[in-house]
Amino acid sequence: MIEFNDVSLVYPNGTEGLKNIDLKINEGEFVVIVGLSGAGKSTFIRSINRLVTPTSGSLLVEDEDILKANGTDLRRLRTKIGMIFQSYNLVKRSTVLKNVISGRLGYTGTLTSILNIFSKEDKLLAYENLKRVNIEEKLYNRADELSGGQQQRVSIARVLTQKPKLILADEPVASLDPPTSHQVMKYLKQINREDKITTIVNLHFIDMAMEYADRIIGMRAGEVVFDGPVSDVTEQTFEEIYGRSIRDEDRRGGVEDE
Amino acid sequence: MSGQLTLPEKPKSKFSLYKRIVIFIIIALIYIWTFTSLEIRWDTIFSESTLDNMDRIIPKFFQPAVEETGNILEMMFETLFIAYTGSLAAAIIAVPLAFLCASNMVSNKFLNNIGMWILGGVRAFPEIVLAIIFVAAVGPNPFAGVLAIAIGSTGMLGKLYSEVIESIDMNIIEALEASGANKLQILFYGIFPQVLPEFLSYAIYRFEIDVRASSVLGIVGAGGIGTLITFAYMNRNWEEVGMILLVIIITVTIIDQISGFIRKRLV
Repeated sequence: MIEFNDVSLVYPNGTEGLKNIDLKINEGEFVVIVGLSGAGKSTFIRSINRLVTPTSGSLLVEDEDILKANGTDLRRLRTKIGMIFQSYNLVKRSTVLKNVISGRLGYTGTLTSILNIFSKEDKLLAYENLKRVNIEEKLYNRADELSGGQQQRVSIARVLTQKPKLILADEPVASLDPPTSHQVMKYLKQINREDKITTIVNLHFIDMAMEYADRIIGMRAGEVVFDGPVSDVTEQTFEEIYGRSIRDEDRRGGVEDE
Repeated sequence: MSGQLTLPEKPKSKFSLYKRIVIFIIIALIYIWTFTSLEIRWDTIFSESTLDNMDRIIPKFFQPAVEETGNILEMMFETLFIAYTGSLAAAIIAVPLAFLCASNMVSNKFLNNIGMWILGGVRAFPEIVLAIIFVAAVGPNPFAGVLAIAIGSTGMLGKLYSEVIESIDMNIIEALEASGANKLQILFYGIFPQVLPEFLSYAIYRFEIDVRASSVLGIVGAGGIGTLITFAYMNRNWEEVGMILLVIIITVTIIDQISGFIRKRLV
């Protein structure tokens, strides 16, 4: 469970990234954060694993306030939180296996990991997770030999290898084409269902948000302006969140292309 | 349509014309000044004795003393060893200095500057000057050459390395950080895979330069083939100088080719 208690974040240049956020995200939920770029979606998601540090309030992850954690405590909490990025963030010159197994680093001793010694279980776990996203045949390929969609699947496998309680995905499909986007979202949804991993995804495509979310949180100018189950959401809700009428570019489309 | 299409006239500024004239005059003045102050004695250059010397010495270069090959090759290998050991040491010493200079690794501007000053200071010394210092310090032997090459190369490699580090993809570091990896693990899993091939490529390139540099270090007594050059030159043994030059040229060319091949495969 994640609990935001009056969380605010003011950047050093005075920009308010988050304004008095107060909400709870329950175990196993699939939450999609929507909003225009600059609305604070990224700041929201990055606060949860402290890639950015809110300036006030408390943020409980698994009953621990991550805003107070530092050093070893912070790293231990972060091992429970997997993160997927828009630009995949794989080490391009390393093999797929090495990228995926780097998800175990938080659980592995410094010296053994530097010497590249991982237990058999860890290696098998990495392989199993690659199988889950159907990319196991690329095990020994270099990451830069893969297409964007394949790289994003590898990054999902890396996150799974971390055995997280929670997955954060910051615009995971923004660099992908429509069919591949749906494929990636389907894997995320499937993992959320099967492993009961709480999943929080930033998206700006309203059709994808509607299709995959259990719950939608709308943000504008650092504030939560909508929070409710996907059944309560209509096109009008999005118009209110975005503060303008819906345009074509707000839809990803392409689900029937598969 | 296209026949009527004309390019808008390029805006002219009188200032740029004046600027060009002024720059031209300044360059011409510097040129004239340097030539006049050098006191080149054209009469001796274009005298009969020059032609005589040319006639006497140049042909001897082309009759290299083949019988000295064994000795020369031995010294050439010593030169290569000096270059190799020196470059290897520099390739390693430069790494921590490069991290110190890289602003994305050490965010303290003051420490960055200290690193830059060290590397800049080291780069200011030509190898031959460093060699003179080390010959004085550790005596006239190849070890002095190794030290000179190592210190001299560190300056350049450190600078190039730090530029490589500054150009890496920091998002990968962020991803590893987000998964709970510690700083050392990030270094080995996020940073080294991105920078090591480039580091190696620069180190090999520097080795190429060091082979050339260490060929002349012997002139000041720091070991290698330069020692032979000095002796042969002092004895006016031009056939041997010719042979030495031939060996150096062939070796350097071979090393350039090999290093170019490896570097192409690396990145």
